[in-house]
This record gives sequence, structure tokens and C-alpha cells, in this order.
Amino acid sequence: MPNTISAGDTAWLLASAALVMLMTPALGFFYGGLVRRKNVLATIMHSFFILALISVQWVLWGYTLAFGPDHGGLIGGLDWLALRGVGQDPGPYAPTVPHEAYMVFQMMFAVITPALITGAFAERKRFKAFVIFTLLWATFVYDPVAHWVWGGGWLGQLGALDFAGGTVVHITSGVSALVAALVLGRRVGFGREAMDPHDATMTVLGASLLWFGWFGFNAGSAITAGGLAANAFVVTNTAAAMGALTWMTVSWLHKGAPSVLGAAAGAVAGLVAITPASGYVDVSASILIGLGAGVFCYTAIQLTKRLKVDDALDVFGVHGVGGAWGALATGIFATVAINSGAKDGLLYGNPGQLGIQAIAVAASIVYSAVMTFVILKVIDVFVGLRVPESEEVLGLDASQHREAAYQI
Amino acid sequence: MEILAFASFAVLVVAWLVAPTRGNVIVVSQAKDRKAA
Repeated sequence: MPNTISAGDTAWLLASAALVMLMTPALGFFYGGLVRRKNVLATIMHSFFILALISVQWVLWGYTLAFGPDHGGLIGGLDWLALRGVGQDPGPYAPTVPHEAYMVFQMMFAVITPALITGAFAERKRFKAFVIFTLLWATFVYDPVAHWVWGGGWLGQLGALDFAGGTVVHITSGVSALVAALVLGRRVGFGREAMDPHDATMTVLGASLLWFGWFGFNAGSAITAGGLAANAFVVTNTAAAMGALTWMTVSWLHKGAPSVLGAAAGAVAGLVAITPASGYVDVSASILIGLGAGVFCYTAIQLTKRLKVDDALDVFGVHGVGGAWGALATGIFATVAINSGAKDGLLYGNPGQLGIQAIAVAASIVYSAVMTFVILKVIDVFVGLRVPESEEVLGLDASQHREAAYQI
Repeated sequence: MEILAFASFAVLVVAWLVAPTRGNVIVVSQAKDRKAA
């Protein structure tokens, strides 16, 4: 086999993998600032632990289930178990980089996706239940859906466009978060006592690091270090900015003050929404996608609060709704002028693409919801999902980890 | 589509101009606290 490896592509992909890796601890800080101080360490531990857990799961069996040779459009084969045959030569997905580089880039996506869900069950989930849930969810939800879309599965064959994970990452995690919030139930004192963020500065720092890492997430998904990566970089930054501006403005008009946490959440919402579209849309579309993210995600969170659903850190509103909006917006704004290997969307004379995107959205919602419900119920029977009330009142840092975040 | 992009940004700018300013709420509550003390 002739060596087709590009030094530029490989360098960019490895650097992007490192950028995406940083996003998971950044998410820990984003979430950690939003919880009460008695739970901050446990919340950060969720993300940090997942970084370690899924790193091992992915090399042992996750990668081959998601990207191994296709079986019926549903799942990858076990040919690459423990990375057997995944080496320094290019693989089938990226002809100019080592297969291992592609694998480790995808690993970081598999890591952050279950970490996103942890915001929904923050401050009340038993650590042991969280560990088992993460392992089962990664294996039975993330790996199959990644295969459907990116690994040669049925959604990819159907023509669904998802550049960096609107369906695979954000809809699956957002919908699973909503299911988890409903199954676990509300926190003790929810609706009766204040549960204000204990450190908003930590959350803004986390959001800033997420924004930084997202350049690897989206621009890295070009796999090549060229024009497509540059376009993905620009539209990612623009949508994040519009998401921040829009959310802050809507919350300002709604509640009378320009919220700092709102700007941080809005930036994340904009990043989520542009994720599936970033390799297919131009900069004007990214402004509209960021605008929509700010409005739709903010509205969804007000609605979940009104329904008294205790999605503690608003994972469904940001990732579920933002991911769905981004996936559908891809079907509206995609253009072959940006990516000649893709398809036009509704605005460019191909309304069928929006229908295909809707099918991908619906399939990922239904599958994630059902599987997450089953996994949670099984764990509840054998381990128990929630800590006892007394431990919840004491805080998870002390009850689950016997440590304290702050000595002051 | 460029027109929509410019228009959406313009809407935000106008919203910032008409958005309520309630910075004096803090001052009032501090004054109340001082009086109570």
C-alpha cells in the first residue's frame, strides 16, 4: 500500500484530538460552577472519571462497535477489538492520516458525550450507578448511533448529514439527560429552596475552554488541514458568538438583566447547534443558526422549568434542543458551495434533505430515550440510582468521595 | 441570506438599546439595609 499520509492532516487531527480532550474537563468546570459547593467535586469527578473510563472502553471495544466493518447498517463488527489491525497506516475513513490518529480523534467524542448527560442527574446520583450507567450507555447507545451516522450505518447510507455530532453527540446526550432527570426524580428541596450556582466564574471559565476546544471538535472533523477546516472554524466561532449574544439579550428582555451565566450558556448552545452544520454551511447561515440556538434553547429551558422537570444543569434544553435545531438547520442551509462532497439543503433547492435530517433526528431521539430508560431501570434494580436522602442533604463530595472541594 | 444575517444582528443591537436598566435595584436594597442597621 503506498504511503499517502499527509503530515499536515495528521498534525491537525492529533492537535484537534487534544483540543477535544480538553473539552471534557472544561465541561466539568462548566457544570461544577453551577452546582452547590457541597457537590462540586463530585460533579467535576463525573467528567474526569469518564475521560479515563471511556478512553479504555473505546480502545477495547467501543471503536470497533462504532467504526468496525458494517453489519446490516446497525453496528460495527468485532474485527478491530482491542485495536487489532488499527495501526499507523491509513484506515478506511481517512486516507491521509494514520488509522490510530482517526481512532483517537473519535475517542474524544465518545468521551465527552456521556459526560454531557451528567448535568441532568447532578447532585443526587450514586457514584456506582453513574459508573455502570456510563459504561452501558457508551456501549449500547453511543457506539451504535455513531455507527449509524459515521461508521457506514443506515443513517449515513440514507444521506443524513452530521459533520461533527449533532445527532450522534448532542441529541443522544440531551434526550438521555431528559430521561435520566425524569427517572431519577427531583432533588431534595427542588422548588422549595434556592439551588444557586456556587461559583459562576468557574462556569464562565468552563464555557470559555469549551469554546476553545470546539475548534478541534468541528474544524478537526474536516480530517484534512485545508479550506473545509478553515470554514468550519469560522462558522463555529460565529455561531458561538451569536448564541451568546442572543441568549443574553433574550434573558435581559425577559428577566431585566444581562446574565453572565446566560451568555456562557448561549455560547455553548450556539456551539451545539453549529456542530452538525459546520462542514456544510456558510457564515451567514451560521449567524442564523446561532440566533436560533439562543432563542430555542432559552425557551426550552423555561418550559422544562415550568414543567418542574429537574434537569439540574439544563442539558436537554441546550444539547437536545440545540442539537435537533442544528441537525434540521443543516437540512435547510447546507450547500455544495462549501462542501462539494455533501448535498444542498432546502434553501438551495433540495427539500428532501430536510426530510432526511428529520428522520435522523427522530431516530436518534427514540433510540436514545428507550435505551436510556431501560439501562436506568436495570441499574436501579441491581444497584440503586440515587443516594439516600441524608447523603444528598450532606452533599455528594462528602458522602460519595469523602473529600471536600474547599478548605476555606 | 446575508440580509437576514445583518437583520438579525441589527435586531440584537436595537434590543440592547431598549432593554431595561435596573442597576439602581442594588443601591436601593443597600440603602434599606443601612437604614435597618
